[in-house]
Amino acid sequence: MSIDSEKPAVMDDETPIQERRAPMSWGRIGTYVGAIFVSLWILVPMYFLFSMAFTTQETVRSYPKSVLPFVPFSTSTMRFFLGSEGVAEGLANSLIVAVLALVLSTLLAAPAGYAVARYLFTGRDVFRLAILAVRAFPIVVLSIPLAVLFIRVDMFDSLISVALMHTVLALPTSILVIASVFASVPYELEEAGQVFGASPLQSFRHIVLPLVLPGIAASSVFAFVLSWNEVFAASVLTLENRTLPALLLNSLSESSDAYQFAGGFFLMVPSLIFMFFIRKYLFNMWGQVSK
Amino acid sequence: MVAPTVKRRRPLTPYLLIAPALLFLAAFFGYPMVQGLILAVYDDEAVLPLLEDPGIEAESLGTLPQGTGLTVLDQRANLIDGELTSDLLTEEWFKVSALDSNDQTVEGWAPETRIRIREEADDGTPLAGTVRTKLAAGADPQTTLFQEASESADTAAKLDARTRVRIVDTATLELWFLVTPQDDETEVDQSLEGWAPSRFIQIFGEGELGRVDRGTEGQFTSRFIEKMAEDRFFGPAWRTTLLLMVLILPVQFVLATLMALVIHARLKATSIFLYIYSIPMGMSDLAVGILFFSLFTGNGFINSFLEGIGLIDEPRSFLSIDTRNWIIAAIVLAELWRATSIVMVIIVSGLQSIPDETLEAAELFGASYWQRVRYIMLPLLRPSIQVALILRTILAFQVFAVVIALGGGEVVTVLANETYRQYFALRNTNVASAYAVFILLLSIASAFFYLRAVRTQDELSST
Repeated sequence: MSIDSEKPAVMDDETPIQERRAPMSWGRIGTYVGAIFVSLWILVPMYFLFSMAFTTQETVRSYPKSVLPFVPFSTSTMRFFLGSEGVAEGLANSLIVAVLALVLSTLLAAPAGYAVARYLFTGRDVFRLAILAVRAFPIVVLSIPLAVLFIRVDMFDSLISVALMHTVLALPTSILVIASVFASVPYELEEAGQVFGASPLQSFRHIVLPLVLPGIAASSVFAFVLSWNEVFAASVLTLENRTLPALLLNSLSESSDAYQFAGGFFLMVPSLIFMFFIRKYLFNMWGQVSK
Repeated sequence: MVAPTVKRRRPLTPYLLIAPALLFLAAFFGYPMVQGLILAVYDDEAVLPLLEDPGIEAESLGTLPQGTGLTVLDQRANLIDGELTSDLLTEEWFKVSALDSNDQTVEGWAPETRIRIREEADDGTPLAGTVRTKLAAGADPQTTLFQEASESADTAAKLDARTRVRIVDTATLELWFLVTPQDDETEVDQSLEGWAPSRFIQIFGEGELGRVDRGTEGQFTSRFIEKMAEDRFFGPAWRTTLLLMVLILPVQFVLATLMALVIHARLKATSIFLYIYSIPMGMSDLAVGILFFSLFTGNGFINSFLEGIGLIDEPRSFLSIDTRNWIIAAIVLAELWRATSIVMVIIVSGLQSIPDETLEAAELFGASYWQRVRYIMLPLLRPSIQVALILRTILAFQVFAVVIALGGGEVVTVLANETYRQYFALRNTNVASAYAVFILLLSIASAFFYLRAVRTQDELSST
């Protein structure tokens, strides 16, 4: 797997890279050293936690700890965690909620994103501004009244209510990302399809959709990760049907280190996998805000 | 963002396309938000009306606020209006049929206290009994049967003591109390005297004293905000939240700018670095809290390392009640680790929008790399930095799970944690809402502050 050969988003312009790359200088070496230091700062703590998640419970309790990787390697901590009460359900709940949030936010955001990208309509700027305001809105502030609302309509402590909350959180970002993805496909392409006899729907289906699908997938993945990670709202909106983060948070004070470390591992895995695929779209998500 | 293509042929289409998202946000964002604001300042159980007669349709004579001390003057059983809940004081009534002193068959309701049960079905349902003897001297020796299960109903018949009765029906009645404010309740109308059902009143002692437990009518109140401000965790919570912000944000922005410059420098392995740098962005604050807990905990990696290189002889505890400063340091590191990525991504986006020509021109005129950073990139990055500042500050007001994972939430507490405590542990939704509104106001204020601060700078530099 060669990641180097992939063309990263930051190089997505027409100037050949070689022309602009300065010859190896001390400054460049310094930049590499700095880049590697920052990488270590991010990777080393994760490595420590992962090595704890995949070792024996005795090692987790032992002191001083070895800095050698995964010694001794064992799945006993993992098995202990997965066998603990509520964990299997918590994982399943988290998965269900995250998939629901993914589907809901994508279904709602795709048409809205298309409208923002393709049409000039009265209220478009207000809509975009409102979306930005919702995105910047504190989760903490929304959770309490939403819990009260769900209690009133007898939906409290249900997975669907958590999924709805997470959809609210993911929706603004999804709309903005999908809009920027649609905007990057020139409308002329769609028109060209129609010139050659395709119906508007056909030209959308065969020309635009293949081009935007990766971007829409990235925004969906983002919604999934957001939902998987979300702690506060999930804790406020559930009591019995805890998602994994809510379960972990509320058992922190009485759970063993091994339990926490293995739980932390599960919380981190989606980010590790998915960030790899959506990292280029991060700039679609955030770039446009500043304009 | 690219300007949209004008498509005017179907003017309704864009509205239809955004309608689902708008409706969804209105239902699950707009509406609850308004409700949340109301919860913080409106008590829907503020005052209890006292009624002229025991009965929900009776006229209200006036209201007493929640918590008013009461003197109970009389009590009476009445039909239950609404659900039968555990906070009700109730009385059982029987519908009985019997032969009266004139050998006429009569039927009517009497309280359980007046009937001695003699016969029961297997499941405990009373079937038959006798009328009890009245012990009090001077009382009417006969027991009254009422036409309905209520002492205020008309009399149906009168039975002698020890008459045998068949029990044909039972009913559970709620007690109503005739109450008046206690003498020391100076802030309310002392002369007020009226009836209220037991569900809204707590009764003490032998039943002659009580207090208004909750009201039925709402009122705007600053009670919840005052309760929040007087909460012993309120001061520590907002001070710690601000302290964390002051400690984290400056370092974070310097670090993020350096990371962004590394990404922008187009190294060979930029793609890998970008991946590594963006990993924390997708991570739960709880996961990061646990991550740093594994480093800082008593038998964690930091102690192991320090002992390994001989700096300490025995493990130190960093995350105990006595080491508040270490807990804060751990939180700062965890937040730097977790939330710097998002700032970096915003700044990289800003860097990408700077035309290469601009930087090349500066290079041609002999500007060094740091001169280009200082005099071209940073000024042009101002809008991006502004956005990042607003976003990070709003997120910093919500820091929560990291604090719980590293400090337990008692020694070091933050605003979001107090919101959670009020809602979850103390079951005080209104005070929790007050906290939430406080966070909201701080967020809005800081957003305006940054918008203004940056504009002021623009104005200064243009003069």
